[in-house]
Amino acid sequence: MVSKAGKPSSQEILKKNVLNADLCTGCGACVNLCPYQVIYHDRTVQLHRCDLDDGKCRAFCPRWEIDLDLLRSSLCDSADLTPEIGAVKDYYLSRATDPKLREIAQHGGTVTALMELALTEGVIDSAIVSAGNHQQEQRGFKAIDKVSLQKNAGSKFTVSPIVAAFNQIAAENSGNVGVVATPCQALALAKMRLKPLQDDAGHIDKLKIVIGLFCGWTLAQEKFQALLLLNNINPATITGMDIPVGKKALVIKTGSGEKIISFDHVESCIREACRYCLDSTAEFADISVGSARFGNEWEEMRGWNQMIVRTARGSKLVDLALHRGILEVRKAPDGILKELKEAAAEKKRTALENIVKKSGSVKNLLYLNNSDPLVKKFMVKIKR
Amino acid sequence: MKVRLSKDSMNVIITGVGGQGNVLASRVLAGMLVNAGYYVTIGETFGMSQRGGSVMSHVRISQKAIRSPQMPLGSADIIIALEPVEALRVLIKYGNPDVAVLSNSRVVYPIGVITGELNYPSLTEIQNVLQKTTAKNWLLDATEDAVKLGNPVLSNIIMIGALSATDLLPIDRRSFEKEIAKNMTADKLRINMLAFDAGAKLI
Amino acid sequence: MLKLLSPANREVLFMGNEAIARGALEAGVNVASGYPGTPSSEIIESLATVGKERNLYVEWSTNEKVALEVAAAASFAGLRSLCAMKQNGVNVASDFLLHLASSGTRGGIVLVTCEDPGALSSVNEGDSRYFARMLEIPLLEPANFQEAKDLTRWAFELSEEIRNIVVLRSVTRMSHASGNVICGKLPVKFRKAHFVYDGSIMDPLRGHVISTPVVAKHSLQQGKLKRATVLFENSPFNDYSGPKKPELLLITSSACFLYSREAIDMLNLQKRTGILKMDCTWPLPPKLLKKHLNSTDKIMIVEEVLPFLEENLKTLAAGMGKEIGIKTFYGKMDGTLPSVGELNPDVVAAALAKIMKVKHKSLPAAYTKELQKAAALIPARELTFCPGCPHRASFWNIHNAIALDGREGFVCGDIGCYAMGALFPATGYHTTPTLHSMGSGTGLASGFAKLAAFGFDKPILTVCGDSTFYHAVIPALINAQHNRADITFIVLDNSGTAMTGFQPHPGLTVSAMGELVPSVDIAGICKAIGANVAISDPFDLDGTCKILNSFVADKGSLNVLIMRQICALSPEKKGKKIFDVKVNEALCLGESCGCNRLCTRIFRCPALIWDRSKKKAVVDEVICAGCGVCYSICPQKAIIRTEAEKK
Repeated sequence: MVSKAGKPSSQEILKKNVLNADLCTGCGACVNLCPYQVIYHDRTVQLHRCDLDDGKCRAFCPRWEIDLDLLRSSLCDSADLTPEIGAVKDYYLSRATDPKLREIAQHGGTVTALMELALTEGVIDSAIVSAGNHQQEQRGFKAIDKVSLQKNAGSKFTVSPIVAAFNQIAAENSGNVGVVATPCQALALAKMRLKPLQDDAGHIDKLKIVIGLFCGWTLAQEKFQALLLLNNINPATITGMDIPVGKKALVIKTGSGEKIISFDHVESCIREACRYCLDSTAEFADISVGSARFGNEWEEMRGWNQMIVRTARGSKLVDLALHRGILEVRKAPDGILKELKEAAAEKKRTALENIVKKSGSVKNLLYLNNSDPLVKKFMVKIKR
Repeated sequence: MKVRLSKDSMNVIITGVGGQGNVLASRVLAGMLVNAGYYVTIGETFGMSQRGGSVMSHVRISQKAIRSPQMPLGSADIIIALEPVEALRVLIKYGNPDVAVLSNSRVVYPIGVITGELNYPSLTEIQNVLQKTTAKNWLLDATEDAVKLGNPVLSNIIMIGALSATDLLPIDRRSFEKEIAKNMTADKLRINMLAFDAGAKLI
Repeated sequence: MLKLLSPANREVLFMGNEAIARGALEAGVNVASGYPGTPSSEIIESLATVGKERNLYVEWSTNEKVALEVAAAASFAGLRSLCAMKQNGVNVASDFLLHLASSGTRGGIVLVTCEDPGALSSVNEGDSRYFARMLEIPLLEPANFQEAKDLTRWAFELSEEIRNIVVLRSVTRMSHASGNVICGKLPVKFRKAHFVYDGSIMDPLRGHVISTPVVAKHSLQQGKLKRATVLFENSPFNDYSGPKKPELLLITSSACFLYSREAIDMLNLQKRTGILKMDCTWPLPPKLLKKHLNSTDKIMIVEEVLPFLEENLKTLAAGMGKEIGIKTFYGKMDGTLPSVGELNPDVVAAALAKIMKVKHKSLPAAYTKELQKAAALIPARELTFCPGCPHRASFWNIHNAIALDGREGFVCGDIGCYAMGALFPATGYHTTPTLHSMGSGTGLASGFAKLAAFGFDKPILTVCGDSTFYHAVIPALINAQHNRADITFIVLDNSGTAMTGFQPHPGLTVSAMGELVPSVDIAGICKAIGANVAISDPFDLDGTCKILNSFVADKGSLNVLIMRQICALSPEKKGKKIFDVKVNEALCLGESCGCNRLCTRIFRCPALIWDRSKKKAVVDEVICAGCGVCYSICPQKAIIRTEAEKK
């Protein structure tokens, strides 16, 4: 469909270059802006045709026309920038001081502790976190207090259209918002922060804090659901999931004990779009948090998180958390940051390789620009 | 009341959009004329065409014989339109320099106009066409009067009332009342008479 | 008093279908059956209104084949019966019709087929006159309203004379046109039913009514047709008007007679041309035709749709070549008249003018130019679902379920108002690529669903209306269940046969004659077949879509969703709004990103219009039916609905 001006519509661009190209991350940036696009399971669906050529859907999509250099220079302090993992003001191992919080969390409970603080201190009026249903189907959930926040703590393996929830909640005029985001979602929010369109009604200004999550990949919900059923696991009975270091398997905790699925099978459920993602540490968040699973000290580190403080906003919240004694931090062991950077760089290279394979040309990097200095840096070794 | 028709046959087209009461209007008009002793032939279609489409009834009045239920192109003497663009649609096929047109001015937009793919002419444009291509024409807001009477569908009867006041055909208030009294309750008869009178006043 | 029961000699305005009904009454018809279909429905409808007064049994049957069987039973019992249907119906009834024509009949029985040249309200312009030739039964075609009555009455006599069924064919421009008719006498005596079967098998009045021994009965049947030919030779219904030796003889039937006469008048050719109006069109009476063919060398055959009369006439002429000499025939076969679509006086006049080398007077050139200028101003008016129509909401739900599923599923369409979902793609939200005969949607869906083995893994849906369900869908649905075709079968249940004017059907508790009858439950039938059955209100978009989503995703079972909501035009609902609907202009986003006119651009309800100067949606309160569905689709909640005052 073409617009009145004869240009391809925004929707058509996304359909051709993102949805049909398997690049859609399911972040939800293009959803809840209009009646045309919705999330079903974890797929973005274009319900009806829209002929506008300058739509928000296209403007906010993290898989279309991404200028990493512009985003970094506009949103980060240049002094903090690292090529591999973006801006780093501070880097810690951290965990929630409250042991109860650590118990319900996947690792150290840092994310929940920080969001709780932002809520109780009035930095934000609501926090958007991922909440799943019995089919491993995730939705952005608006948490306004500790209880609802804690109820949804823990890692999710399927993607949640968090940005869709942000779009909706920001439009409701219910105050300031914090978001827990994967890298693609943080990227979409960053794109919004650049205000590509004039008429976003100031919604993005309500976004006060983004806590990013380290992310290697996510699982496609419908495929994963089918895999669970194939393994006689009722998705409704799942209480938790983990991939223990060194084990090539997904451990699924259910009401009736643990079940193990070989990682080879799980891998077939990985969302195709994740293969083209350059970001493993949510570089455009204010604070990024991940597990501290590295080296031989895994067992000891299990209860801790790695935490990257990236922006002034992030620093302020972390400083407050330390001041209030809500977070405990410790210095990371030597070499760990380097290890993280190397892994992040590897992901960038692999993703670029996959992108080139898909497009068939080093000149066509799909949603990225081959003249972007950051992209260029990681393209060096990629064969034509 | 049998008077000589100004010509034989007199060709009347009643047009509108499906659901506007086109069929009833043509039946009532024809019934009045049969009662007066004329041969009347009505040609119309219903079914699918009534679903939001253009509808048209041909009413042919003769002192001599039944006529074809479809009249020849360019041979309408009177066009009664319940919707203005439908007046034009009929006019361009059946019009001639001697035609008289009575049209309701209330617009019912085609779906293509609503979606934005097509344009609807302004009432001024419609009026210009009528001025240039008809011998006589009246553009009346029958729907407004019908809404005042409590039911927009009465615009068909209002148009028949208006037609009677033009003296183009040998019909009058009494022949109308006689015809509709056949199948109507007193209540309905009363409101239809009011509609007829309101129409007659518009001329 | 009802017009249909007007006293003898009274001149009244009858619609062609009313004239046919009156003719049947004058013939003393006892039983009338049919299935609704434009342009035939008013025959049974009007007979039903006088059923009590005239001692009739009138029914809407589940389909045309059953209707003909019901009518035939009456004939076997010595009663007079009429069976009415549209052209498609004859196809449905034809299997029984063939056997009936072979077995013969007793009481007068007339099959009335009302056909639709130009397909004004059909999805084909089938010509079922060929059935008469193929099945060897007589065919009559009235050429004006008086004849519609008189010929129907005579058809019963003919049927009794030859002891076989007679076909009477009308067309839209006869059935749905009206004209003056002088009434005849209504009989005062009514027949009693007797069914006798104690005679020899070859005894038409006392034997078993069967088509065997086939060859012997076939011969008997052909004898009946010969008898009809003899009667046709002298029938006053075949009538010539014009000069003794016309330069051109028009041979015509049905509404084409009226077009031909008008065309001759238009060109002032009354003295040069003659018209042979044939009401008895199969078998053709050879002597009569020989006489007229001898009067001229040029003959034009004027008929709709296929060249039936022309073929038969040419065959006849070829056989009498020595006696009549070489003739020039004009008609459909040589392209003088169009081979498709309906005719009208202008088409006939154009052909006549060409043959006779005369000119039709035309409008002044300047005037025509003005009309051409005006033509450019006129927007096309595409058919669409009425304001408040449940089908719009139903297709909206279906579209959304298919889009969400993401496997490019589609709908096999069927016959009813909802066929517009297939006829006009945007009206059905681009869901419905197929449309054929009644019940075919389910059969096609059943077939499509078996193509998964060939790499065609799409959800297959189909729709049918409530009346269509009973008519021809049930066997296809059983087929789907038995052969494991996993389809989503949707009944668009609007509580009536809406397209043709709300005739009752087996799902309702009222019969054609207004009597209380047991209703047959669609959900119960589907459950008995073994399907998963759910019922929803299509106006409840969320609830309906949820069910559809689960049905469309489901593999391994036959799923049935009955979407139930009464037709907006039904007598019980018309003019009664559920909601008053308005647009809050301050909230309406119009063309801006965030809405881009979802309601006026995509949803397409005629009552929701787009104000181009304000750039806002507006409700046209004159035509809004108050269903309130647009409230549910507006992303801004700018469409406000409040419960309407009950009138």
